[in-house]
Amino acid sequence: MFGRVRGAMADAAETLRRTFAGLPVVTVVPEPFHPGSRRGALLEVAPRPGLDPLAATGRGARLFREGVPSLALPPLVAKLQAEAGFASWGAEAEVVRMTPLEPGRAARVTVPPLPRQVRTLGRMEPPACPGTRRVAEPLARPGTRRLDPRLSEVSALAGLEVILGLPIPIRAEDIQRLPKGLWMRYSLQLVRGTGENVRNLEVLGLFRIPRKGVADLRHDPRQSRILVRLEASAVRAPREPFILARRKDDGALLSCFVEGS
Amino acid sequence: MAESIKLAYFMAVKEGASYLGGLLVTDTSGIPLDFRYTEPITPTHLQSILYGKSLEPHLKEEVIQKTLLKELKTPPDLFILSATELAGGWSGDAKCPVLAVQKSQEAPLVKVGTTFRAGPRDILLQLAEGAAPLRVMFAASVDAAAQEQAMAKLLEAGYHMDLTEPLERVTVALQSLVVKGS
Repeated sequence: MFGRVRGAMADAAETLRRTFAGLPVVTVVPEPFHPGSRRGALLEVAPRPGLDPLAATGRGARLFREGVPSLALPPLVAKLQAEAGFASWGAEAEVVRMTPLEPGRAARVTVPPLPRQVRTLGRMEPPACPGTRRVAEPLARPGTRRLDPRLSEVSALAGLEVILGLPIPIRAEDIQRLPKGLWMRYSLQLVRGTGENVRNLEVLGLFRIPRKGVADLRHDPRQSRILVRLEASAVRAPREPFILARRKDDGALLSCFVEGS
Repeated sequence: MAESIKLAYFMAVKEGASYLGGLLVTDTSGIPLDFRYTEPITPTHLQSILYGKSLEPHLKEEVIQKTLLKELKTPPDLFILSATELAGGWSGDAKCPVLAVQKSQEAPLVKVGTTFRAGPRDILLQLAEGAAPLRVMFAASVDAAAQEQAMAKLLEAGYHMDLTEPLERVTVALQSLVVKGS
């Protein structure tokens, strides 16, 4: 059984070998390439009536020096070329035989060891150390002086007369805050003290000022206050309610102390 | 009673190279009860250099103010100084509450006598109907209880007088003394 199979395999292999062994090998020699050219028609000049006929004349290039020989170009020859390689493209196969690989030679490369020590180059020589000398002469000790930075003691002076010479503002009390009975009594005392009719009086304010020692008194209606100048006797004098009023008919100012509550 | 309250107004000014201060004690009507002032103190050039920036506070607090307070026979109820002096870190040792009063631009409070605490040491006090409230600033040494007592005294005094005006009077008096002395 196995013998028959082996024989069949050997026959098939022999058949294939014979089939592909008889192919012809054709060597294609490339033909040299010759460029072809065609000659074109010469330029012609057609004369036009009324004008002088143009004549084409050949002129040499005078850009160069005289005597420069002009190169004579060989005439171009046209030649038909055929590519024979295409003819054998589909008919025959070209067998390329490859060169089998061969074992190459190997060489062992040894890496040289790194140096264990390196030399230092360009090392500068240490500068010369200067010698020290000691100056034994001591500085003269300065003398100390004491200057007391404390500020001198000051004394306080009494200046009540200075401050009394300035106008002192005294604000009017709010009459609305007074008890009604007390205000009625003040009004009665105002009428008695000034001798005026109560309807002819306009009360400007009720102030508490010293009973004596008022040297000057001015009314400041804008701020409803009076400015007074006092004498020294006013400091100890008792403060009494003082009503300042204006007479309606002539605008004169009237005033009187009223009995305190 | 209103007459028992004494307000001390302290002001120290610099005129040229000299410093002088004044202390005005008034009643609740603003009428002077006492006025003391110091002689002008002119520190030397060396003292100015040695004291530096501490010269002016030292002169005002340690020299002028202590000298004037020593002259008072009875201590005042309130010690009032300018807002600038207080803001500069006043560190005197007055025996009474130290404060500054200043007219404010705030809207009026509800009614007269109302207070509004704007800060731990800053209180607004309504003294007059419809007017801007008065700003009262206390020194750091015045505690809350002392502040309340001081506000009651200010309210009572403010009913009769302009609480900020006496400081201007002291300044004018000191300037007139300098002119008179020169």
